[in-house]
Amino acid sequence: MPKRIAVITTVYRYLSHAQHEADRILVGYPYQGRWHRPDMKIASLYVDQKPEKDLSVLRAVEFGFQLYPTIAETLRCGGDKLAVDGVMIIGEHGDYPRNEKGQILYPRYEWFKQCVDVFEKDGRAVPVFNDKNLSYSFEKAKWMVDASRRLDFPVLAGSSLPVTWRLPDIELALDCEIEEALMVGEGESDAMDYHALEALQCMVERRKGGETGVKSVQLVEDEAVWKAGDAGRWSKELLTAALSRSDTPQGLTVKDGRTQDLVHNGELARLAKNPWAYFIEYTDGLKATLLMLNGVVTDFNFAARVKGMGVQSTQFLLTPEPNVTYSACLIGKVEEMFTTGKAPYPVERTLIVSGILESCLTSRIQGHKPLETPHLDVHYRAPRESQHCRT
Amino acid sequence: MQVSRREFIAGAASLLPAQPVAARSKLAAICTIYFRMSHSQHIVDRFLDGYGWNGTHHHPPMDLVALYVDQIGKDDLSRERAARHPEMKMYPSIAEALTLGGSKLAVDGVVLVGEHGHYERNEKGQTKYPRYEFFEQIVKVFRDSGRSVPVFNDKHLSWNWDWAKEMYDTSRSMGFAFMAGSSLPVTWRTPSVEMPAGAKIREALSVCYGGVDSYDFHGLETIQCMVERRHGGESGVKWVQAYRGEDFWKACQDGVWSRDLMDAALCRSHTLKPARPSFNDIFPTVYNMRRLVKDPVAYHYQHADGVACTMLLMDGLVRDFNFAARIDGRAEPFSTQMYLPMPDGRTTLANFFSPLVNNMEQMFLTGKPTYPVERTLLTTGLTAAGVESLYRNQTRVATPHLGIHYQPATESTYWRT
Repeated sequence: MPKRIAVITTVYRYLSHAQHEADRILVGYPYQGRWHRPDMKIASLYVDQKPEKDLSVLRAVEFGFQLYPTIAETLRCGGDKLAVDGVMIIGEHGDYPRNEKGQILYPRYEWFKQCVDVFEKDGRAVPVFNDKNLSYSFEKAKWMVDASRRLDFPVLAGSSLPVTWRLPDIELALDCEIEEALMVGEGESDAMDYHALEALQCMVERRKGGETGVKSVQLVEDEAVWKAGDAGRWSKELLTAALSRSDTPQGLTVKDGRTQDLVHNGELARLAKNPWAYFIEYTDGLKATLLMLNGVVTDFNFAARVKGMGVQSTQFLLTPEPNVTYSACLIGKVEEMFTTGKAPYPVERTLIVSGILESCLTSRIQGHKPLETPHLDVHYRAPRESQHCRT
Repeated sequence: MQVSRREFIAGAASLLPAQPVAARSKLAAICTIYFRMSHSQHIVDRFLDGYGWNGTHHHPPMDLVALYVDQIGKDDLSRERAARHPEMKMYPSIAEALTLGGSKLAVDGVVLVGEHGHYERNEKGQTKYPRYEFFEQIVKVFRDSGRSVPVFNDKHLSWNWDWAKEMYDTSRSMGFAFMAGSSLPVTWRTPSVEMPAGAKIREALSVCYGGVDSYDFHGLETIQCMVERRHGGESGVKWVQAYRGEDFWKACQDGVWSRDLMDAALCRSHTLKPARPSFNDIFPTVYNMRRLVKDPVAYHYQHADGVACTMLLMDGLVRDFNFAARIDGRAEPFSTQMYLPMPDGRTTLANFFSPLVNNMEQMFLTGKPTYPVERTLLTTGLTAAGVESLYRNQTRVATPHLGIHYQPATESTYWRT
């Protein structure tokens, strides 16, 4: 019997996360060189908003599932007991307000909580996938993870970046000694910085001793970003390495096609539009930096200095629209959890990144001041096996 | 303790102030045209401005000092490059570029980029890029100087098989290192996999995009860099048969190439055109493909050892280069994508030229090609034979002249670091 999946989403329109993620269950997806048709079906769907060009009704008619007006009914498929084998919460896109930190208030926690209510009332829990960060609030995110522990159901969450193709296809050795790490990203907060932070985290979590939490964070902007670089707070060597992996330098490259050594040719500061630096100091002393460099590049690149290995760097390949095949890499992991009942990588990764982002944005609105983050006392070990797309 | 003479010299040398070990090599680039996104721009710029490589901004340890550009158009960039890089001078002739204006060969390597520019097309649709003519002028300088240096030729050797063979034979008779070809064999792969050495390949194909006498060559190099690693090495090609339009679909239906390999290759694409509106990534039926691909072209050919290969140009369906093969002992097809970060809106830098330039550098440094030019000699002949088959109303073209035998490089040369 195919696994019956309930999909809970904000909006189901072309190229929304719900469309390209849930559609893969309906029509299959490319996986290891074949078109894989999962042994799963969408049993029920909840859509919070139905803007123009909504596809949810069309999909329900074509693929024979029901839309329900509440989350509880969706999980029970209109009956009185939990009637699905897994839940996908895709709370991305749609029209939701922002808070004073600029975070979009997607109701992922609220929906997850309603799922937990059903699980508790019905005396049975099933695996839950939560797309992207757990919540804009660490406290809420923590509640979600705690509830999954309490009721003993697996949760997989996060971004596609940790699981997409890498150029080159590298993985940091488990228990390596990372001396410093840097990530370059682009795009708007709090969507794209989340992706960049999770890409960073999936690399640094492999360090010796595993993840032991974050001690403090700080977010600085504009001129302070370059001053911090001059002061050695982030490494120009690592930025050079990260940018050497980019396929999208802007400025003179766009103008006449030339290659550029952006760190040394004087163009970096000229190109960057309102750059942000996210400084993360981990409990074990590791320092990592995310530079969001809008106007400089449009891809996501990582570099770290690893003891005995020199500088390691790679690009997290975001394959083009409309296929966005990186989301097939993610759905492969979701299917794995629904099939095996085990999350292939720990939800604590997404928990800590949810908290890092929230605290960085708090630092920003509090005058860019450094913030102690004792609450980010999140411990976990990275999966032994690589989880990104490489076969 | 006895110290050998060699160790003594090495030890003594370490006490001396640093000396330049050897003069940096000097290169000449011979190009058809130099505009934004032309092959010359991608290749020559990487020598002048460096490029991202192995996690740093790498500057080749050699100097491109001479440039010849055949056509200076309105959008020319060569003069801007020469002004910004005064160490590189432009010369009005190939001979002057190679002699740096003197009377004897004065460079240590030559980069020949005969792609893009306004050149005539023949009745078969081949653009008559003057690679052979440029090559002839290069070897004339070699002959006149009594000395030859390594040459890299971008893309296929010549549109004309006889001329291509002559280029190859000349390089052999004069004894200089000669390398050529496309970026496809050396770019990233997703996944990053290599054909196992000695694999018993039954059938191979590529699904690509673009047109005849252009990207067909890239699709053929995509296949050849993989199948040359098979058991016994390369043994040449016996015949080529092209299919186009309705004949393509009939051949597809008749199983001229394996449908499961075609599907496997398509499953490696990142650019599969959605066959239905509102779906972003959905596998096409043949009916869908017929609607999306207006001018499908296949070059189906058989190697002397029996291996069947097919290059499928499915412009309108994909915008990338995908490979699949049937190998003995493997239940599933072996497949990958030769990934090009293409600056057609997807990226801004054609970074697949970086591994190509890096392979050139290695040849210029060591005097040895990193992969055999016979690969490109064969794909040059396959391209011409495919065009010929199309020109002769899709009849099978016997290719006794493509009895090219060679062994692949022992090391993988695609981009993975």
